[in-house]
Amino acid sequence: MAVAAVDMSFMEDPSIFSKSRYHQDDEDNFNLADLRACEPQAFAMAPVANPKSFCLDIKKSGEAPKLMDFMKGTTTLGFVFQGGIIIAVDSRASMGSYIGSQTVKKVIEINDFLLGTIAGGAADGSFWERHLNRLCRMHELREKERISVAAASKLLANIFWQYRGQGLSCGTMVAGWDKKGPSLYMVDDQGDRHKGNVFSVGSGSTFAYGVLDTGYRFDLTVDEAVELGRRSIYHATHRDGASGGVARVYHVHEKGWTKVIAGEDVNKLHYMYAAEKNLKGDE
Amino acid sequence: MSGLMEYNGSAIVAMTGENCVGIAADTRHGIRQLQTVSCNRQKTFQVTDQCFVGLAGLATDVQTLSQLLNFRMKLFTLREERKMQPRMIGNMISSMLYEKRFGPWFTEPVVAGLDDNHKPFVCAFDFIGCLSTAEDFVVSGTTSEQLFGVCESFWRPGMNKDELFETLSQCLLSGVDRDCLAGWGGVVHVITPDEIITKKLKGRMD
Repeated sequence: MAVAAVDMSFMEDPSIFSKSRYHQDDEDNFNLADLRACEPQAFAMAPVANPKSFCLDIKKSGEAPKLMDFMKGTTTLGFVFQGGIIIAVDSRASMGSYIGSQTVKKVIEINDFLLGTIAGGAADGSFWERHLNRLCRMHELREKERISVAAASKLLANIFWQYRGQGLSCGTMVAGWDKKGPSLYMVDDQGDRHKGNVFSVGSGSTFAYGVLDTGYRFDLTVDEAVELGRRSIYHATHRDGASGGVARVYHVHEKGWTKVIAGEDVNKLHYMYAAEKNLKGDE
Repeated sequence: MSGLMEYNGSAIVAMTGENCVGIAADTRHGIRQLQTVSCNRQKTFQVTDQCFVGLAGLATDVQTLSQLLNFRMKLFTLREERKMQPRMIGNMISSMLYEKRFGPWFTEPVVAGLDDNHKPFVCAFDFIGCLSTAEDFVVSGTTSEQLFGVCESFWRPGMNKDELFETLSQCLLSGVDRDCLAGWGGVVHVITPDEIITKKLKGRMD
């Protein structure tokens, strides 16, 4: 199956990327140029014929094998209950079958009362959620009021919509407690945005849903909810090859968020849960 | 081709010691790459009382090939009334694999055994039967690149059976901790002139 090769002739003369001798760095103290550079019109694109589909073309043409294989494979979950929201994630970064890291932070602390999770490309998720942090702060300064979770997730969804089809890879959940109470939104790289009570995103999500849906009730206590989140992540890491490492659990409540479990080794959890059932753990 | 070799996932390593040889394998049974079905699939098979064969690759071919090997071994013993040496077993596997050159078995076997002079022998094959012997260790499976690195660091000549067991276990467990498709426990066999020591390993279950 022959695919037209991407025109890489712009690489032949690297000097076109260098700054000229008379270039002056932006003196703007507010670094607004930095913020504006995130708008699609100003985001630097590859100097090829079809810049918008560059990432997908490179992947299809096979000219740079493995370059566009982002670290994916994960399990993240979130659910709303009477005490707020529980967000639980694993910590493995996998590239195909290779485990890149077992200590990745997949929960981004957007600000003191908003949490975002990353599934999919870690760079995409962490960059755009940190950008969301800036946008939320700008909103606070302009409106003299905290941004609502609905508006924050809408900002993120709109950004993904603008870059739709260009190869971003990111499935995130935005969680927070605002005037309307606790809200959980799932936003993905195509610009989909859904409000809901129970979500799980990632390659291990199907396994996590099984345990989560079985144990979920709106009137769980905080301890029961944290245990449910931790247990769902553990089960997903056991069955899914691309999830593993440690389980992290956060609790979003009226006063912001708390990191309940900073990182509990899922291997330890496996033998602990097996012992509870009087099993050895190697079945 | 590579998709099928990664469908189930496996990690096999065999090492030589002083008058002993060892083979270790993980025990994960996975399907469609990422889903784990069970944690106790057998990937090492005893063919004589001094020789093991480890089979990495597609699980169905591993099972069929192990049964075929068993059949050929028994037939040999009946006809020739003597025990097959590990080098012979290697050559036999090589021919069996090349027989299917244009419709191959999707496995990459590993042979580890002691010959009649108690000299250790290890060898590995590609999926169409190229035999390659090594003096120190051989690896196979989806984790082979990680295992090469860790075995190269930890193997040393002249290990006795306890040191060999320890080295094999640590190499296997460290290697599979960097592979999504292998792990979830392990099994190690150490073959000495007097006995075969088999131990199960407690590994990370994620």
